Order: sequence, then structure tokens, then C-alpha cells
Amino acid sequence: MAATTESVKADAAEAPLLNQRNLYAGLLLYLVFYSFIRWYEGVYGWSAGLDSFAPEFETYWMNMLYIELVLEVVIASALWGWLWKTRDRKVMSITPREELRRHFTHWTWLVMYGWAIYWGASYFTEQDGTWHQTIVRDTDFTPSHIIEFYLSYPIYIITGVSSFLYAKTRLPTYSEGLHLMYLVSVIGPFMILPNVGLNEWGHTFWFMEELFVAPLHYGFVFFGWAALAVMGVVNTEVMAISKLLKKDLA
Amino acid sequence: MSASQSAVRSRAEAVAVSRTFDWMILFTLFFVVLGGYHIHYMLTGGDWDFWADWKDRRLWVTVAPIVSITFPAAVQACLWWRYRLPVGATLCVLGLLLGEWINRYLNFWGWTYFPVNFCFPSNLMPGAILLDTILLLGGSMTLTAVVGGLAWGLVFYPGNWPIIAPLHVPVEYNGMMFTLADLQGYHYVRTGTPEYIRMVEKGTLRTFGKDVAPVSAFFSGFVSIIIYFLWHFFGKWFAKTDFISDDEL
Amino acid sequence: MKLIKDKVAKLSFVALLVTMTAAIFYTPTASAHGEKSQAAFMRMRTIHWFDLNWSKEEVAVNDTMTISGKFHVFAGWPETVDKPEVSFLNIGIPGPVFIRAGSWIGGQLVPRSVSLELGQTYDFKVLLKARRPGEWHVHTMMNVQGGGPVIGPGKWVTITGSMGQFTNPLVTLTGQTIDLETYALDNIYFWHAIWYAIGVAWLLFWAKRPMFIPRHIAVSSGKASSLISAGDKKVGTAFALGTVLILGVTMGTTNEKYPVTTPLQAGLMRGIKWIEMPAPTVDVKVEDATYRVPGRAMQMTLTITNNGDSAVRLGEFNTAAVRFLDPDVLEDESGYPDDLLAEEGLTVSDNSPLAPGETRTVNVTASDAAWEVYRLADLIYDPDSRFAGLLFFFDEDGNRQMVMVDAPLIPSFI
Repeated sequence: MAATTESVKADAAEAPLLNQRNLYAGLLLYLVFYSFIRWYEGVYGWSAGLDSFAPEFETYWMNMLYIELVLEVVIASALWGWLWKTRDRKVMSITPREELRRHFTHWTWLVMYGWAIYWGASYFTEQDGTWHQTIVRDTDFTPSHIIEFYLSYPIYIITGVSSFLYAKTRLPTYSEGLHLMYLVSVIGPFMILPNVGLNEWGHTFWFMEELFVAPLHYGFVFFGWAALAVMGVVNTEVMAISKLLKKDLA
Repeated sequence: MSASQSAVRSRAEAVAVSRTFDWMILFTLFFVVLGGYHIHYMLTGGDWDFWADWKDRRLWVTVAPIVSITFPAAVQACLWWRYRLPVGATLCVLGLLLGEWINRYLNFWGWTYFPVNFCFPSNLMPGAILLDTILLLGGSMTLTAVVGGLAWGLVFYPGNWPIIAPLHVPVEYNGMMFTLADLQGYHYVRTGTPEYIRMVEKGTLRTFGKDVAPVSAFFSGFVSIIIYFLWHFFGKWFAKTDFISDDEL
Repeated sequence: MKLIKDKVAKLSFVALLVTMTAAIFYTPTASAHGEKSQAAFMRMRTIHWFDLNWSKEEVAVNDTMTISGKFHVFAGWPETVDKPEVSFLNIGIPGPVFIRAGSWIGGQLVPRSVSLELGQTYDFKVLLKARRPGEWHVHTMMNVQGGGPVIGPGKWVTITGSMGQFTNPLVTLTGQTIDLETYALDNIYFWHAIWYAIGVAWLLFWAKRPMFIPRHIAVSSGKASSLISAGDKKVGTAFALGTVLILGVTMGTTNEKYPVTTPLQAGLMRGIKWIEMPAPTVDVKVEDATYRVPGRAMQMTLTITNNGDSAVRLGEFNTAAVRFLDPDVLEDESGYPDDLLAEEGLTVSDNSPLAPGETRTVNVTASDAAWEVYRLADLIYDPDSRFAGLLFFFDEDGNRQMVMVDAPLIPSFI
């Protein structure tokens, strides 16, 4: 009897399989942050973002660009560095329950990746379309670009790579070799950022009208397809988790 | 650690764990697909989708289904063959429409003040339901491509007509005839979109009678069949679970 | 403790909503427009706007104002910009802060694109109806296919009132009175909501049962067929047939409700009338032209011949919407934007009346901070270092003649 009591106690003290607080806090963090960003652009887009040669544009927009770029490099280095430095060197010897717990943590990362992709690829990208109807494009760094290309894209890149690194360093499933579709689903959307180079080159060379379906934009489309590779990640995960649960689900 | 050691303590816990993963997977799949599909659709058919005065009988009807059948075909390929879930197309379209509606409301209207009756998205839902149900009933990629792909193109216009018809009522304005949609485009100034950019009603307009939408829809359905096949295979490729060795990177 | 936590969570959510709402209903106070980015040669050698008039500087929501004037399509159109064979008379405002209630070139309504002729001068008018309060820079603007937006001068206009009061009433050809601002909105929401709900119902029908892991186990152990029941197929059939049925019925009811509809109207408008300008009797030859970077001044040596029958004086040099005037000859009374007007910016070495038949070589200097402010000085960095503009000569009776100049420009850095 004593042993049972001990085991119940151990269970109670043990970390939960899914840390729900982290999950909801993460989702809320992105939501609150992006709501603030939306408020900022709602106000300063109109009052300081219409003329890139005005001094207030430098104050409210270019400074924001410089600050965000620095922060992104710092956060990416710190987060990725930490994930790598604290990697589990004995990943093959963890218990099945610990493995399951890590799959949950991994899925918390993946949920954040989905959430970050939504804000970057959907919300702020289409939003850029409507801002181009409102201003005459007079700089590569329009307020909507400063947020879309240089804030929301780096954020999903940081989240996606972190997710990948978590899987690679803590889950037995990914410890040997590199999961091809995981690479595609992280590197493909990442490539949208360098593709901005093509976009700006085209818009600078030919003062084009704001046609969203212009072939110049197809680079974004091509790399957007890579999002589908998340299906490969889902499949691998389902296979791995099925292995852990199969006999209990039967 | 023993190989037979269990990850869960009971069958009930196993079921709960599996169910929690269901929701986390569904959430991630929904939003990642939403992001990819939205960026693809807005940059291949977006201008037709943004504005009421681009939603014509010819090019919108032709282009929108062709470029939008892509992701549904790919996601079906994964969800059906691996899980027998006939929801791939619906999942994609629900995602896309959610992303579009949030944007049109909060940004096109809420940030730059274009009225929503001018910048609402196209309705792709009827085609998605048909694509998924045909896959469920036939269980065949070929059948879904041919019948579903054709249906995807054919039902696009009827699925949107009840929404856009009021905007195609004619009006006389300063001595010229417009549809109300044309007038929206003229009234609500798009600084970056001059009228000549609009790709509508192009061609010599020599048709058999005035109804060109069915011909456009039929052609669109035909191309959608081909695109479906292609993207179904893309979907299978993207669903792969292969690993490459570290030094291949 | 939990109670406090809940309260904090609730309050944060309310704060979030308030901020989002505040952002949406924010009324701006100041903003300019990005015209200065355009290469100087684009502004100097494409469309020259003149005789402009903004009918009001302050206008209430629902009231109208006009911008009218003339534009000259420069004959020495630059090679890097496509010719204005397909052009659209636009208006440079930050989105629909006004609605464009009408626009005319040569008296013809131009809701669509038009074909313009090089070397011709056109009159135009744009009628605007105020929609969104704020202080806005309102520009003339011509979009040229293959060239992009060619922005003309802008003037600040204040809109007062509230956007909630804005209406856009129209009577359709079927006799219905509507407000285009909100017309058919409920119908759009309704159909999208119905179809979205059908999609959600389909997804939930499958999501209400275990989805990924058990189904994967079944498929991989060869029991895929057990995953789809006869009931599922029945529901699937109902969704498919229901979809087709709804489509058929709503097509029918829509056609009944809107028996008269027309296709979108499109197509290029040709044959736009230009102003028949009399041939100028003043002949101008540019001997040389330099731009002095430190002095923010352009100097031209001009040989002017008067072939007319009355004496003339040079009153204005107009380039890229900046007007340099000789105050002895011309004063602006049109309320032209201050930042684009150099009231004493034109100096002529000898601007005494040039008698009929006389030829004179003069030095003309156009100087003003506008060269820098409007980034026209960047002309010296353009890949095709030429300048162009309009010279206006006046006789004693105030009759005006317009002469184009177009010549190479040499920068002077010291």
C-alpha cells in the first residue's frame, strides 16, 4: 500500500504532460503583441507614415525598423543558442512518458509556429495590399513593409527554427538525420524574407503599379507553398506518438 | 527503462492524450495552411478577390478557381490517404476565408476605410464541400480530380452570384452607364490602382449570346482538373516523412 | 487569488478591445504624401500641370470641392517611361478620404483610362466629395501604364465632420434608391455566414471523433475501410446534394430579385479633346543651363525672339509643379500652395519688354528652397541629365503665351 501512495504522490508532483499555461500564455503573447502593433500602425501609419521624407517618418518608422532588427538578432541568437546549448545528449534513453511530454512541448512550439505564420503570411501580408492603395509607394520601407517583412516574417522564422531545434535536440524521433519536410516547412517560409530583395529590386527598377498578381511577386508564392510541408511534420509526429500510445489505445 | 514501459497510465489517459494532440495538430495545420494558401491566393488571384469591380464574368471566373484548387488538392492528398479524413478542401477554404475576412474587416475597412461591400472576398465554400464529399463517396483521386475539379470550376460563379448580383445593377451617372461595382471602383479612390490595371472583360467580346460566364466556368473547370492532379501529387510529396543524413544538408 | 487573476485577465481583454477600437476610430491631424520620391525627370518631363485651382481649403463631410486646371503632355517624353497611350486621371489622396464624384478631361467624363497625345494641352476637372475627417494633401495625379503614377502639385485640405454621417445616395436604372456606402452589405455578410457555417459543420462532423492518431493506426494496419461508415456516406451525400440544391435555388431567386444586371464596364477611351493652343509667337533657344548646388538655383542663358506684334516679358518658369515668378510681371492670385510657389524666385538679367521683332539673350535664374525640399536638385543624379519646363510670357494687356523648354543641364558643385 505504501508503494502505491508513494507512486500517487510522485504522479502529483510530476510535471503535467502538457503545460497548458505555457500554451495559452504563448498564444496570448503573440495576440497582445500584434494587437499593440496594429494599434501603433493604425495611429502612426496615418500621422507619420505617408511621406518617407518627413522627419516624423524617421522618428516613428525608421527607428522602429532599427530597433526591431536589433531585437530580432538578439532574440534569435539567444533562443536558438539556448536550445542548442541545453540539448539532451542522452536523448535515446529517456522514458516513454518523458518522450510523450516532450512531444507535447514540441507541439506547443508548432502551435506557436502556426499562429506566427498566420500573423505574418496572412494578416500582415494582405494588409500590405490595402496600404499600397492608400499611399504612393515612395520607399522600400513603407510602414506596412516595416511590420510585414521586417517584423512579422522574422518572428515566424524565429519561432519555426526554434521548433525545429527543439525537435532535433530533445526528441528521439529527430535525433538522427534531418527531417526533409521539417526543413522545407521552416526554410521555405524563411526564404520569403530574402525574396524581399527580388521584390524591392523590381519595384525600384520599374515604378510599377500596385498589381498584387504581378509575376514579380511569384517568388513569395513559390516559397509560400513550402508551408504545405507541415503535413510531413504532422505525419512523422503522428507516427511517433502512435508508437507511444498504440498498445494503450487498442 | 524497459521497452514495454508505457507512456500513459491508463487507456483513458491515452484517449485524452490522443484527443489533445488532435486539437493541437488541427490548430497548427489550419493556421499554417491558412498562411501558405492565403499568400498563394492573394498573389495569384488577389486583385480579383479584393475588389468588387474586378469580379467579372470572364477573368475572375476563369482565374480564381484555377489558382485556388491548388492547396485543397494537396491537403486532401495528405488527410485522405493517411487518415481517411475527407476535410482537406474544407479546411483550406475555411482557413483562407477566415484570413481574408479578418483582413478585409480590420484592415481594408478598419485601417484604410474601403467599404466592406467593395472589398469582400470570393466565396469558395460550395466547391470545397463538393470536392470533399466526392472524395469521400468515390474514394478516388482520379474521380475527385475529374468530377470534383470540374465541379470546382463550374460552381464558383453560382456560389458567388447571390453575393455580387446586387452590385451588377446598372446606374446612369453623369451621362454614362456603370454597374454599381464599377461606380464603387470609381468613387472609392485606390491611389495605387489606376483603372487600366483592372483585368476584366478583356477580349473581343464576340460571343454566342451575352452569357459568357458559363463558358469561362467550363474552361476554368477543365484547367482545375489538371491543376488538381498536379497538386495532389505535390501534396503527397509534401506529406513525406523522409529523413536525410546530416551531411546531406 | 483566482478571482483576482480572472479579473486581471478580463480587464486586460477589455483594454485590448479598447485599444483596437481606438485605433480604428482614430482621426489623424497631419500627413503628407510621398511625391518627393519621384525622380525629378519624371516630374519635369512628363505631365506639366498649370492654372490649377482647388475650390476649397476646408470642406465638411458630404460637401464637394473641385480641382480644376490644365495639363500639358510634354513632347520630349522620357524614353524610360512608356508613352501615355493608356492613362488614367487619378487623384493623389490617401485612399478614399474623399470619393471621386466625377472627373473630366476636355469636358468628357473619364471614369476609365484614356489615350493622350504628346505635345498637347488638356483641361481637366475632378469633383470630390468629402468622406473622412482629417487634414489631407490633395494632389493632381496621372497614372501612365508602363510609367506609374505621375504626381502633380498637392494642397492641404481639411475635412470636418464625422465619417458616420457620410452617405452616397444613387438611383439605379431600375428605379431603386440606394446608399452605395452600405448597399448590399447585409446580403454579403448573410451569404458568407451561411456558407462558412456549412463548412464548419462539415469539419466538425469529422473533428468530433478521434482524428489523427487512431485513424493513422487503423490505416497503417490495413483497416482503412473501417473508418468510413455507411452513415458517413449518407451525411456526405446530404452535404453534396444540399450544396447543389442551395446553389440552384439561390441562382433562381437571385435572378428573380435582380432581373436586370449588366457586365462590368471597361475599355479604353480614345479621342479625348485637347485645347487648340495658338502657335506661340515667342521663340526661345536655351544656350546653356546649369544648376548651382550650393545656391539652390538654376541658371539658364536664353535667346528670346519675339515674332509677335506686341511686346512681351517673361513672368513665370514652371517646372515639376514649382512656379518661379518675377513679381514685377506676375503675381499669383489663385491660392497656389505656398511650398510650391517662389513668388520672387525668377530673376531675369534684362526683363524689360521685348519689342516685336527683337531678339535678346538673357540670363535667367530660378532659385528657391523648393529645389531641395522637393528634391528637384536630385536631377543632377538622374541617368538622363536634362531639364524641362514651361515659360510663360505676358504682353501689356496680360495676354499669356506658353513656351516649352527642354535642354541638357550641367551641374555646378562649387
